[in-house]
Amino acid sequence: MPISEQMWLMLVTCFSAVFTSNILLTYFLGMCPFTSVSREVKTSVGLGLAVIFVMTATTMINWVAYHYVLEYFGLEYFRFILFIIIIAAFVQFVEMVIDRYSPRLYQGLGIFLPLITVNCAILGASLFMVIRDYSFIVTVGYGFGSSVGWTLAILAMAGIRQRLTESRIPAGLQGPGITLIIAGLMALAFIGFTGVL
Amino acid sequence: MKKTPEMEKLDNFLRSSRIVAGGFMGEDIRDVDEVIVADTRSVERLGYSLEQVAARMHEITHIAKEGLGVCVDVGAGLKGCVDEAKGRIVCPWPHPASFDKRLTTVTDVESGKEITWSDLHIHLIEEHGFFEGIGSAMRIEPVKLITIIF
Amino acid sequence: MVTVFISVLVISSIGGVLALLLVLSEKFIANYGICTVDINAEKQIEVQGGQSLLSCLVEEDIFIPSACGGRGTCGYCKLKVIEGGGLLLPTETPFLSDQEQKDDIRLSCQVKVRNDIFIEIEKELLSVRQYECICSGIEDLTHDIKLFKFGLAGSEEIDFIAGQYVQLLTPVYFKGGEEVYRAYSVASDPLNKGAIELIIRLVPNGICTTYCFEHLSIGDTILMNGPYGEFHLSDTESPMVFIAGGSGMAPIRCILSHMLNTGSKRKAVYYFGANKVSELFMIDEIKQFENDLDDFRFVPVVALPDPAEHWTGLTGLVTEAVESDLENAADYEAYLCGSPGMIEASGKVLAKLGVPEGKIYFDSFA
Repeated sequence: MPISEQMWLMLVTCFSAVFTSNILLTYFLGMCPFTSVSREVKTSVGLGLAVIFVMTATTMINWVAYHYVLEYFGLEYFRFILFIIIIAAFVQFVEMVIDRYSPRLYQGLGIFLPLITVNCAILGASLFMVIRDYSFIVTVGYGFGSSVGWTLAILAMAGIRQRLTESRIPAGLQGPGITLIIAGLMALAFIGFTGVL
Repeated sequence: MKKTPEMEKLDNFLRSSRIVAGGFMGEDIRDVDEVIVADTRSVERLGYSLEQVAARMHEITHIAKEGLGVCVDVGAGLKGCVDEAKGRIVCPWPHPASFDKRLTTVTDVESGKEITWSDLHIHLIEEHGFFEGIGSAMRIEPVKLITIIF
Repeated sequence: MVTVFISVLVISSIGGVLALLLVLSEKFIANYGICTVDINAEKQIEVQGGQSLLSCLVEEDIFIPSACGGRGTCGYCKLKVIEGGGLLLPTETPFLSDQEQKDDIRLSCQVKVRNDIFIEIEKELLSVRQYECICSGIEDLTHDIKLFKFGLAGSEEIDFIAGQYVQLLTPVYFKGGEEVYRAYSVASDPLNKGAIELIIRLVPNGICTTYCFEHLSIGDTILMNGPYGEFHLSDTESPMVFIAGGSGMAPIRCILSHMLNTGSKRKAVYYFGANKVSELFMIDEIKQFENDLDDFRFVPVVALPDPAEHWTGLTGLVTEAVESDLENAADYEAYLCGSPGMIEASGKVLAKLGVPEGKIYFDSFA
């Protein structure tokens, strides 16, 4: 495929990853931090930025590792383990670098980075990229788009939940209960985008 | 009634034992604002305002303080004793205010009725209309307070 | 067979390479080397960089109060970081007032030592240590005052100046509680370094006093730190007047033991006020100092003795007793310990008797 076509495909993939096939609201990946860290907009911004950075970077690294290492040895079925350890090592590494060279950034992202290692949206994005057989350039767009979509969803949820604190919710639904119901409603709204692409 | 996050936080704080052992709310399951509204109403029903009540409490404590722990005549047929402890106690509301740990016990000589308050109580009543939750060890019953001090 | 071998080899070598990468980067990136912590521009300690300031100081046996163990939830471990502490963290701001933020006060458990760092610790805190104590005795003194005896665990010793106080760390003993520090003056002989005695009065609904009165039993271990405080005898030879009531006897008893130990010949008189005869305690013990010390007088005063109690000593408020008993006190030094109201009233009386304001010392920890 020529580069220009790939670039176009990358943009389309990126857009669809944000809206029509949002990794959180259509695939329901990364629900754990989505329900637990969405109490305040401020913290969700921090977590969202960390996810954008880590997801974009790890999908790229994993693409290289998958196509140049696993395929070479014919060990594609090991991708789960490989992706996980690469993500974990990468997050560790990034945390160390940020801590050393940019204390200000570390303040903002530092506490969220370790949380992300176990965020299944990150692993999910790497696995989808393999299943869907994306090229490297498209993978970049997909990783970035998915993470932006995830951030968008958690921000929206945080905004709603901040208002929710002032309303009366039946005792049994307080906390994660109402959050999941809202997530479902948001997912319904996002399905409305499906026709766009 | 809607409950803001600030109210929720205050409610939890009042129920905890961060400032006094046992907390300020006792067994009361009502929200703080419900307690405040109910007690303010019973004060008003007797024809007094929170400011008047607090001012009278201030006045009594001020006279009784001079006794250095010995009960003294504070007028109007009342006896007042002040008991002080070291250190200061802070107001549980989110603003900087702290008070000497001073307890004033007022006895109506004729009826023998007795009530005890701290300097913090005077502030809580004056500024926040809070008499503590029912079942709290240091709750002040507004009706009893008013019948004794006025 | 070969595939199994290759797959194991490939995956473990990838894992190995990543691990090696992390180890190397840890060595080069996360290595802050040896940093110097400069305390009050007097003492420099060398520490391995990368850890929290609190743990560096604790390692050097400098006690910084901390109830939460460095989780940043108690807000006790404040100290002044003049330079090298980096930016104020969001985890610290809830515990610091605007003034404290302006004064460079930080939570030492949240400050990471990344480079040379300059801090200021109050001088008296430098000699403060934490001690593990075992409660060895509880005696009732009055209906709401008890004497608590503690022995220091192991062969630990505490050095303190008579009149200083220690803090008890109250453990969590009810649901929803949090550990708190409360200060109590030491009542025991400063020469007896392996033990501490405290005179504690029950404060209604007080967190620590309730714990001591209702939950602490002989044999229990409790954490204590100290000594703190500027309340102690001056170096002069002026005659002294002590005024104390209730649990305020603690530092005075300690000071009297100290005077006995040092063979002090200073003239001293101690007015001990109580409301009823039943609220007096340790009378015989303090009376004994009259025989042991050169020139000491003990004057218990009871405000309202019950006729049935057959009180023969002075009656009235302690301040009235001081006023009538001490005629001219211009050359006296005064040491007060008790409730704020008593200190205030005594201050007025002493001023009237001619004691200069600078010579009135009182125990005023809050």
